[in-house]
Amino acid sequence: MNIQTTNRLTVAEAALVEAYNEQLSDLPGDGAVFAARDRLLDDLKTGGLPTRRIETWHYTDLKSLLRNVPARDRRAVAEATAPLVAGSEVLVVRQGVADLRSNVDAFEIRRYAESLIDGSAAAGLTALDFDDAIGRINGSFVRDGFVLDIPADAELKAPIELQVSHGAGQVHTRFPVNFGAGSKATVIERHRAVSENAAFVSTISDIALHDGAEITWIIFQSQGEFDTHLGQIRVNLGKDAKLRLFVINAGGKLVRQEIQISVTGEGADLTLRGINLLGGDTHTDVTLNLGHNVPHTTSTEIVRNVVFDRAKGVFQGMIRVAPDAQKTDARMACNTLLMTDDGEFAVKPELEIFADDVQCGHGATVADIDDNHLYYLMARGIPESKARAMLVNAFVDEIVEELEDEALVEALEDVIATWLEKHA
Amino acid sequence: MAAVQETIDQVRQIDVDQYKYGFETEIEVDKAPKGLSEDIIRFISAKKEEPEWMLEWRLEAYRRWLTLEEPSWARVHYPKIDFNDLYYYAAPKGTTGPKSIDEVDPEILKVYEKLGIPLREQEILAGVQKSKIAVDAVFDSVSVVTTFKEELKKAGVIFMSISEAIREHPDLVRKYLGSVVPTTDNFYATLNSAVFTDGSFVFVPKGVRCPMELSTYFRINEKNTGQFERTLIIAEEGAYVSYLEGCTAPQRDENQLHAAVVELVALDEAEIKYSTVQNWYPGDKEGKGGIYNFVTKRGDCRGKNSKISWTQVETGSAITWKYPSCILRGDGSRGEFYSIAVSNGHQQIDSGTKMIHLGKNTSSRIISKGIAAGFSENTYRGQVSTHRKAENARNFTQCDSLLIGDKCGAHTVPYIEARNSSAHFEHEATTSKISEDQLFYCLQRGIPEEAAIALIVNGFVREVIQELPMEFAVEAQKLINISLEGSVG
Repeated sequence: MNIQTTNRLTVAEAALVEAYNEQLSDLPGDGAVFAARDRLLDDLKTGGLPTRRIETWHYTDLKSLLRNVPARDRRAVAEATAPLVAGSEVLVVRQGVADLRSNVDAFEIRRYAESLIDGSAAAGLTALDFDDAIGRINGSFVRDGFVLDIPADAELKAPIELQVSHGAGQVHTRFPVNFGAGSKATVIERHRAVSENAAFVSTISDIALHDGAEITWIIFQSQGEFDTHLGQIRVNLGKDAKLRLFVINAGGKLVRQEIQISVTGEGADLTLRGINLLGGDTHTDVTLNLGHNVPHTTSTEIVRNVVFDRAKGVFQGMIRVAPDAQKTDARMACNTLLMTDDGEFAVKPELEIFADDVQCGHGATVADIDDNHLYYLMARGIPESKARAMLVNAFVDEIVEELEDEALVEALEDVIATWLEKHA
Repeated sequence: MAAVQETIDQVRQIDVDQYKYGFETEIEVDKAPKGLSEDIIRFISAKKEEPEWMLEWRLEAYRRWLTLEEPSWARVHYPKIDFNDLYYYAAPKGTTGPKSIDEVDPEILKVYEKLGIPLREQEILAGVQKSKIAVDAVFDSVSVVTTFKEELKKAGVIFMSISEAIREHPDLVRKYLGSVVPTTDNFYATLNSAVFTDGSFVFVPKGVRCPMELSTYFRINEKNTGQFERTLIIAEEGAYVSYLEGCTAPQRDENQLHAAVVELVALDEAEIKYSTVQNWYPGDKEGKGGIYNFVTKRGDCRGKNSKISWTQVETGSAITWKYPSCILRGDGSRGEFYSIAVSNGHQQIDSGTKMIHLGKNTSSRIISKGIAAGFSENTYRGQVSTHRKAENARNFTQCDSLLIGDKCGAHTVPYIEARNSSAHFEHEATTSKISEDQLFYCLQRGIPEEAAIALIVNGFVREVIQELPMEFAVEAQKLINISLEGSVG
């Protein structure tokens, strides 16, 4: 797809190349890691950032949207905050540096920087395909994060919060997490800004669920209004593994959140729920690439979007069913409330099916608030603005409630209510 | 075991014979030399006795085409086409504008007879056909005959080949040609603009309801010949026209290229109904031969409350690349797209529609049914978008895919773009195989499996078949059954 010959670097591309040269001396890693980094940056340089001509980036032309990349800010500081859910096991990354104070008993943990230094991280520094700009950027620049290994049959009562805070400049993190067979856990991956300064953030969570693991993973992104967030979660679902993945976007100026899921064990199940709260002059893209690769697997996806102001939103949901993946059952829905005439939302729910004995479907709707609903509330003396807020809240709350865990539901409801108060 | 073998033999037999329009006719032809150049375009233009502006238009398109790249985004795979290894003009000898049917080569008349297309007006009137249909028959690069021209003329309707129209109604053609699909539109449309040889022209004046169905029948006969037809239909204020298009080609081992452009213009309160039964040769069961069908079809609802509806039944072609679209420019205009795409053998279909909402209070409806069998790939690709100023745009899209066998693929790629809060878009898509319950129900009542599948498939596509004019509906239903023959077993 890409023309490899002469890519004239844009300002942002040139800034990335320059940043690499500037950071080269203190990026962690052994020979193998640097070989991988060099390769990824080289591909980035020759291929350039993706444009709308690349099908998977059709609605997010990164080459033109990413105007500039701030240099690394060595002096920026980012303090941690209280966890979303009280009593969580909080693992803090501040301004891109993992802060490992003490070991945790329930599972194994180490800094990702260590695995870069000893070279064990090298194999993971790859791009998923030729259009994987996030894989390339993160692979070139990643410095730290956490490597977690949850032992088989472990049942973690308290959620783990991966709290990533940044002040300014560049932050590149990675979280390889291994969930042993039969383990149960809840992980909250949280990306937050502590200042108004622009930050350029890339992050990849690389998680494997072994046989029968039951995991809830929440991505909560609430970055600043000048921030670029390039996030990716790579998931491998083993036999009978169950993943509940919640993705909540409530911030950032330019956001691309990729969800790359490979279902490789029979009986595996994915529940994906997404909420995108979009306001201001922002661009947010959630792209799902889900592969049902073996027979007898199931998935449901529901994404709800609320668009205010001049915000632009994108949801691309690709479901692939491999030739032998018979009895796949996959259902996807994407509902959007477009609250203003200046807002935009583009949906591309794709099905790519090579097996015949399957049930797959997707639905997509885009509309404003239903006048009848509004009328119903207003007829009962509720002022219009309040009635609207109630309906928007109900629209996204329906999804949050599915989480069941009361403390978690309450925490997220708070987040949503605060956001809506500010934007609606 | 004997019974099983018998079934296999039967299926095999059907498989080879399933394309019944694959015969070839020996006819003396006038051909332009092979290849594409400005000289060839001048040759075509001269053959057609075209005015100077038309030649300039073609040459400009050609020069632009040279700078374009062949699109590669569609989910179809084929070896690179050598555009210089084709004949761009092939016409049966002595048929440049026959005055009446008696001047047409009897061999050609036989072809249409064999295809079941009525070209003799008296025969039609004699009750061979129940309702009247005016036919424009296009054979390779030229229109050989247009029927009922006189009768239509009385109603004020102009129905003739586009070459004739360029000569006889240059102002009308000049005003509308390229106004919906500009010469700069895309690779194939630009190529078509440079080399198009014939096609139909329809003009329905203000307030006229066209008294009969209009129809064009395309036949590619010559070897290594590309067919590039151009159709232009204009419905003035308050006019109505229903137009049918059919196509077949002989069975050949090499692939043939067909790159058409169809432009529809509907002014205030006008309605155009365009139906296609596309039955080009799909290639043999090994995937050898067949037509490459790269078509640009677009309707412009230019006037307020105008309506354009596309109905298509796609069963033929080795490769189909086709997205009949509606530009809903006029306030209150409406676009519809009903499609059945059946692929079997090694066919590849990438087809769908575009509904571009620009005016206020516009609405569109998309019903697409894809059926994939054998080793085929069947993709629905559709776009629904609103302009920022397009208040109250409504769309409903339903695309269902049915898979028969585990070696084929069905894909759905919708693009939904909302830029106005009053837009109301709904999209739903499903993919599944024929339900075992339904099949069991039929089998249990003694209906053989193949017939049962045909029955269920016909139920699956019913919503679209209903949109077709009567004559076409019967043909379409038969076609679908034929296309799927041999897909069980």
